[in-house]
Amino acid sequence: MLLSALTTSLDVLALETWAPGTARQVLDTEPAAAPGAQVSGGPRAVLRLANISLSFGGLTALRDVDLDVAEGEIRAVIGPNGAGKSSLLNVVSGLYRPDQGEVWFGDHAFRQVPTAQLARLGVARTFQNLALFNGLSAFDNVLIGLAHRVHTGFIRQLVGSPAARRIEAENRAAAEEVIGFLHLQEVRDRIAGSLPYGLQKRVELARALVARPKLLLLDEPFAGVTLSGKQELAQHVRGARDRYGTTIVLIEHDIGIVMGLSDHIAVLDYGRKIADGPPAEIKTNQAVIDAYLGVAHEDETELAI
Amino acid sequence: MTTITETTVAPTRLSWLTPNLLGVALLLLLGYGLVPWIGSDYLMDAVLTPFLALALAAIGLNVLTGYAGQVSLGSAAFLAVGAYAAYNLNLRLPSLPLLADIVLAGAIAAAVGIVFGLPSLRLRGFYLAVSTLAAQFFVQWALTKFGWFSNDNASGVIDAPVIRIGSLSFTSATGRYVFSLSIVAVATALTARLLASQIGRNFIAVRDHEVAAKVIGVPLLRTKLLAFGISSFLIGVAGVLWAFAYLRTVEPAGFNLDRSFQILFIIIIGGLASLRGAFIGAAFIVVFPLLLSRLGAALLGSVFDSGVLEMSQRIVIGALIIAFLIAEPRGLVALIDRAVAAARRLRSSQS
Repeated sequence: MLLSALTTSLDVLALETWAPGTARQVLDTEPAAAPGAQVSGGPRAVLRLANISLSFGGLTALRDVDLDVAEGEIRAVIGPNGAGKSSLLNVVSGLYRPDQGEVWFGDHAFRQVPTAQLARLGVARTFQNLALFNGLSAFDNVLIGLAHRVHTGFIRQLVGSPAARRIEAENRAAAEEVIGFLHLQEVRDRIAGSLPYGLQKRVELARALVARPKLLLLDEPFAGVTLSGKQELAQHVRGARDRYGTTIVLIEHDIGIVMGLSDHIAVLDYGRKIADGPPAEIKTNQAVIDAYLGVAHEDETELAI
Repeated sequence: MTTITETTVAPTRLSWLTPNLLGVALLLLLGYGLVPWIGSDYLMDAVLTPFLALALAAIGLNVLTGYAGQVSLGSAAFLAVGAYAAYNLNLRLPSLPLLADIVLAGAIAAAVGIVFGLPSLRLRGFYLAVSTLAAQFFVQWALTKFGWFSNDNASGVIDAPVIRIGSLSFTSATGRYVFSLSIVAVATALTARLLASQIGRNFIAVRDHEVAAKVIGVPLLRTKLLAFGISSFLIGVAGVLWAFAYLRTVEPAGFNLDRSFQILFIIIIGGLASLRGAFIGAAFIVVFPLLLSRLGAALLGSVFDSGVLEMSQRIVIGALIIAFLIAEPRGLVALIDRAVAAARRLRSSQS
């Protein structure tokens, strides 16, 4: 008892340190600050980046990046290596604090996104280099995606109070559902670290999906996956959107796979957004072609400044 | 809602009948039904009681280091806190039953553990291990410095009271062994239950990938401090057993850094992140010196005196630690699992 009371109060302290300054309601403070705010009748922006800049020492990773992601769309962010794609995702998930700009989830604006609150805000992500919990089974990896819903203290979990049991049962049912959806039944009890790479990627996707996030961030989901694996994974990503209505933002440097998958594509180069539009438009965009092929174009000096 | 509960309860009921549980039941039957009747006083007093206390301490450290991935070199400090807290509770609040003393002593050790666990929020790995040394030195110093803790004994020595629960007293070697076994069995069962719950999954998540755990919504602060708290609680209770059931007269110097290392070696040799590993490792650490002395005496005769024994013991254990860390980081328990699997394969291929 003593223990749980002590740790809970400490946790509350930790929550308070971020809460007052960072999270604001749009109506309270900056009604006009949202660029390209909601168009009446149009789909609501689930994620909006406003004027994000980020640098590490003298190295600029992101420069004045704006991005609007509508509900239910699959949005790819592509660009050559070092274009700032992963930095962008890390800003959205709160691992980096941008030098300027704001991240909006629906009506909530953040200077730095509180990472610990991400799941509660309905945002989930995967990592470029797998970030599974290697000591847990595939099923437990998926189950832990619902960790933020377990609000019973350790005493109640220890004695198995009705609330603890109900939450556990609900979470297990949700995990089973996603395991079935992504066809992971056969490996559900295997230790995650022992699974082949492609399956680990799928377990990670399942872990992110189990909480039914409004927004799902995928960091290079296709990296290191075989060609047939890529197509299978792309189907799962699309299936996740169709089934759960999840808005998906994915980072990828392989331009081919995202053309068929995404509704919109944003292109980053040297930390700047150089194009944003439907795949057909991106395919013919001269700036994108230059960025990828590295052609010395007349405009390039301007772009690089 | 009822359907959900039904479908999930069914498999857990089935899993009650695992070979694991049968093994545990068999061991308990052996421990309660056979050993007290046929075991000698020497076996229970000098082998089994310290084995049980060390095993419980190793379980405590395993929760913290094996499961939650936070390295600690301060285990002996929490043993000492448990022992001295129970001694003082018993002395100053005589109306409290002994079991309450033990639980409260564990809680006090947990509180101290949480305080010394605070650096884990910033430090990791080697640096955290060094910061837990602070606990080790501080506690030993405080117990020697302030006479109050040892009821003003000049050298900080305490004489443990007789273990008495209700009208039952556990004074004989057998009694103290049975008492220790009961405490360890209950504590182990509760720990196993906790590790199977969301708390246990959170521990492993923090150990395996802290950033991913944070993104998912595992409360890092609370999880780490809980690991320190639970770990210190168990080690504190083990300290009570060590002082009350095994040695019965303890001094702060008995809970020195060597003891901390001994518990760390138990979980490295036995197997990290395994409750069985804690028992196997503790059995090894307790039995190994006895075997070595018998073996040495038989082979070398009078040359093999206590000095040589001490030295050779350190050399062999040091070599074993290196060997396990390189060849089998999962410890003896992994070797045993593999041997069992190989034996099964052999049997099935023969039949």
